[in-house]
Formats: sequence, structure tokens, C-alpha cells
Amino acid sequence: MPTALRSKGFIAVALLPALLLFLMFVIVPVFWSAYYGFFSWKGFGAASFIGLDNYREMFQDGIFWRALRNNLILVASSIIGQIPIALLLALLLLKNTLFSRFVRSAVFMPMVLSTVVVGLIWGYIYQTQFGLANTVLRMIGLESWTRAWLSDPQVNMLAISIPINWSNVGPYLVIFIAALQNISPEVDDAAKIDGAVGWRKLLYVTLPMIWGTVVVTLVLCISGSLKAFDHVIVMTGGGPARSTELLATYMYNSTFDVYRYGYGSAVSTMIILISALLIGINYILTRQKSG
Amino acid sequence: MKIEPALKTGVTNDQSLQKGNGGNGGMRRDLSGRQLAVKGLSGLGKLLLLVYSVITLYPLYWLFISAFKTNQDFFNRPYGLPLVWMKENIVRAWELGHMGRAMVNSTIVTLAAVVLTILLSVLAAYVLARFPFRFKKAVVGIFLAGMLIPIHSTLVPLFIIMNKIHLLDTYGALILPYTAFELPIAIFLAMAYMASIPREIEEAAMIDGNGWWGIFGKIVLPLCTPIIATISILAFLRFWNDFSFALVFINTQALKTLPLSLSLFSDGFGTDYSLTMGAMAIAVLPTIVVYLILQEQIMKGMVAGSIKG
Repeated sequence: MPTALRSKGFIAVALLPALLLFLMFVIVPVFWSAYYGFFSWKGFGAASFIGLDNYREMFQDGIFWRALRNNLILVASSIIGQIPIALLLALLLLKNTLFSRFVRSAVFMPMVLSTVVVGLIWGYIYQTQFGLANTVLRMIGLESWTRAWLSDPQVNMLAISIPINWSNVGPYLVIFIAALQNISPEVDDAAKIDGAVGWRKLLYVTLPMIWGTVVVTLVLCISGSLKAFDHVIVMTGGGPARSTELLATYMYNSTFDVYRYGYGSAVSTMIILISALLIGINYILTRQKSG
Repeated sequence: MKIEPALKTGVTNDQSLQKGNGGNGGMRRDLSGRQLAVKGLSGLGKLLLLVYSVITLYPLYWLFISAFKTNQDFFNRPYGLPLVWMKENIVRAWELGHMGRAMVNSTIVTLAAVVLTILLSVLAAYVLARFPFRFKKAVVGIFLAGMLIPIHSTLVPLFIIMNKIHLLDTYGALILPYTAFELPIAIFLAMAYMASIPREIEEAAMIDGNGWWGIFGKIVLPLCTPIIATISILAFLRFWNDFSFALVFINTQALKTLPLSLSLFSDGFGTDYSLTMGAMAIAVLPTIVVYLILQEQIMKGMVAGSIKG
């Protein structure tokens, strides 16, 4: 029989590798960037303490604000795009037929593609001369709508948000299907007796029943949109003229291109604070609504 | 959408009652009209679903047909089938585009990180699920908090740390952070699974004279095979497709993974479209094959992973 001492030893040996690795590569960097955010450091030599100068510079940099705005555009577009599309598809896919399984698999498929491939493919779709987007527009006689989708600052954030939405609908769809299938048939019957059908049923019966799930998807949308980095790096690199920078690409471009590790650390810390803020706001808002 | 025909029948019902005799025919016609509307609606729904599936699948289809075209063909008929099926593109991408080397690197890094993730996470989950100890709540809390940290916010500090310990530009620079970031999800999935395994089996093994390691190796690990499969699939997809860590931590051509090598095609081989498409096809094929075989598990696993994350 294992003794108490031996089980203590087992706990330590079994848990510590995971814990230490996690602390070192996930938790420590957070404090590290908070610390280095107060320094000016080129990556070699001594780092000099400059207090809040990095943050002051960040707040005075128009590109930082544009990056933040672009991030919020992505959050909005994924809330407006992914959730309704996924919900609509889920309502249509409730029956477990071969056809609906096929559609579900197809919609989910982009999730397993490398973001680099998604970015490159959509880069071709937006290509000005032969890209699919402009080709289709020309075909249906909307020649005047054709444009350089990724370089026109009027539309390029929208253009970037589409592939991100395109590849992320899948999980929301699966989540919604599961939630909808969990609604008991009695509720359906009761709704029918009360005369709730169609839109009215969706609004007053179905949505409240799955509200908890909707909140989960909202949180996922926010944290998912903050993760967007790969698509932008591949499609535009944050350009042209830094018009498509996100917070993460802003951090990348203002750190590794110019060797400003102190400033990059400050931006990293800011990203953590902003994401905590967004998740916090969302938590408070949705808690009130459901309560 | 459905509500309108329903309202209409309601209205005509009232009218038919007032009109008495004459209303009957009208009511019947309305009923069949309603059925027709429902049928039309579900047809419309099917059409919508079909269109949406085509929108999702078309870019991938286009990638694969383009991968077999000549540059000339790609330009002249970007949306037609290849005039001649050029297998050479794939071969050229494999050699000229360093995709062969990148495939080896991706395989090494992904495999090592998946094995490490499973070992560390299942062990840790076993301890957290079965043993009472003083700092348990704190440990679980740390793993939970770590899941909220935006992954890109760690790029700069990790770069600095890895530079200090001379880890940059090695396989370890990818394997260790991949594993670390996958640990919370893997641990929570494994913990939830272990909660469903009755303790009696382990107690019986203990009575048979096994130590903790024996119980873990002989009983817990084999019983956890299904959840280990889920964790492996999730980890495989995440590691295989990772771009940002490779971009920042790897510089040497010989160590570049598939996504990183691919990203260079966006400027390096900019005009050689057939080569780029061939390279993309190579990179995408493994995940597509895995997806076709394991799609149900992948969907369930990714959803479970993302909700817990």
C-alpha cells in the first residue's frame, strides 16, 4: 500500500513538470512583459528604466488606436456575422439527415485548415485582376463595385473579417445544434399550444432557452477576434500604410522590425488588459440581461 | 417567415365563420397554401444550406485544381479545370519550395509536442482528479487563468526569455511553448473524463500491491485512451497549423515548419502561382485527410476545447 509520504512524492513528481512548464511559458511571460514595459531596451546591452513613457507613447500613437479600432471591428463583425449565420444554419440543420451531416462537415472544415493557407487563398480571392471577388462582380454586371479589396482602406478591414468569419462559423454551428437539440419536446409543444411559431417562437421561446449558449458564443467571439493575427500578417502584413494593423500585429511590427522590446512588452501588457476588460464588460452585460 | 401564412389562415378562418357556407372552399385553399409555404420554406432552407456549403468548400476546391495547373493556364482560365494535370507542381514545391524539409520539421515538432502534452497533462490530471492536497485549488486556478491569456501577448516576452536561455531557433522553441499552451485544455478534458471512471478499479489495483506509478501506467492510462485520442487530435491540429510562434521563434530555413514556409510564398515566389498552389496543397492535405477520417471526433473535441478555453 502506498504510504502518505510516497503519495506526496508522487503528487510532486507527477504534477510539477506540467506546472513548471506552464508557469515558465504562459504565466511568467505575462509578468515579464509587465516589467519590461517600463523599460527601453534594444534587445542587447542594458535596459533603461523609463517609467510610463512606453504607455504614453502608445496612447499618442494614432496607429495604436487604429489597431484597437480594427480589433473592435473584428469583434463586431464576428458577433454580427458568425453568431446569426451559425444560429440560422443550426435551425435549418436540426434534423440528423445525411444531407445535414454533410453541410455540417463542410461548414466546419475551414477550422482544420492552416490560417496561413486561409490567408493565402483569400489573398487570391481578393486579387484585383483575376481574383474571384472581382470576377464575380464583373460577371453580374457590378463592374463599378470591383476594387483592390485589401489595399483600399475603406473596405480592407471588412475584407479581412470575411475569411475570419468564414473559417470560424463551424464551432458555433456545432454548439448551437447541441443546444437546440437539448430543448425538450415539451417546450416545443407548449409553444405550439400558445401559438408561438416562426419568428415569434424563435424570439420568445428558442432564444431564451439557449441564452446561456449565446453568452458562451459571445465570449468566444470576443476572445477569438483578439486572437486574429495570422490572417492579417499573411494577407496584408498590417498595411498598406498600417491601415489593417491589429493590436497583435501592431505589437509584432513595432517590436521585431525595429528591435524595441520594451515598447513591445508594453503593448503586450496592454493587449492582456484590453482583453480582460472586454471579457469583463461582456460578463457584466450578459449577466444583467439574463437575470 | 412562418408566422405570416399562419396569421393569414387565422384571419380567413374568422371570415369564413362569418360568411358561413361560402368560406369553406377558401379555408381549404388556404390550408394547402400554408402547406405549400412550409414546403417551399424548407426547400428554400435546403437551397440556402447548399449555397453556403459551396461557399465554404469552393476555395479549397479551387486550391486543389489550381495546384495542378501551369502558370499560363492559371492566368488564362483561373476557374476552369486544368488543361493538363501538372503533377510537377507538387514535386517542384516539395523540392524547390523546401516543402519536403518543412514537412519533416512540422512532423518532428508536432509529434514531440503531442507526446509531451499527453504525458504531462494526463499525469497532472490524474493528480488533480484523485489526490487531495493543500495547493490544489491554487494549481487549478493557475491553469484556468492561463487559458484567458491572449496567446499573442506572450510573443515578445517569450522571445526575450528564449533568447536568454538560448532556446531560439531550435525545435524546443516550438515544442515547449506549444505543450505549455495546450496543457490547460488537455488537463481539464482529462480531469472531466477521469471523474467518470469509478475509483474502485484503482483501489482493486492498489490492493493487488501496485504503487501509484503502477496504477497510473496499468490502469489509468489505458482507461483514458478515448480522451487521449481527443487531446491528441486537438493538439495535432493546433501544433501543425501554428504560425505565430514559428514566425517569431524560428529563423533558420532548415527549421521552418509548413505554415511558416508557406507564408514566405506570399512574397518569395509571388508570381509562380502554380508552385505556391502546389505547396499549399501539400500543407493542407494531411489535415484534410485526418478531418475526413475523424470529423465527428474533431468537431466534438474542438467545441469542448473552445468552450473550456
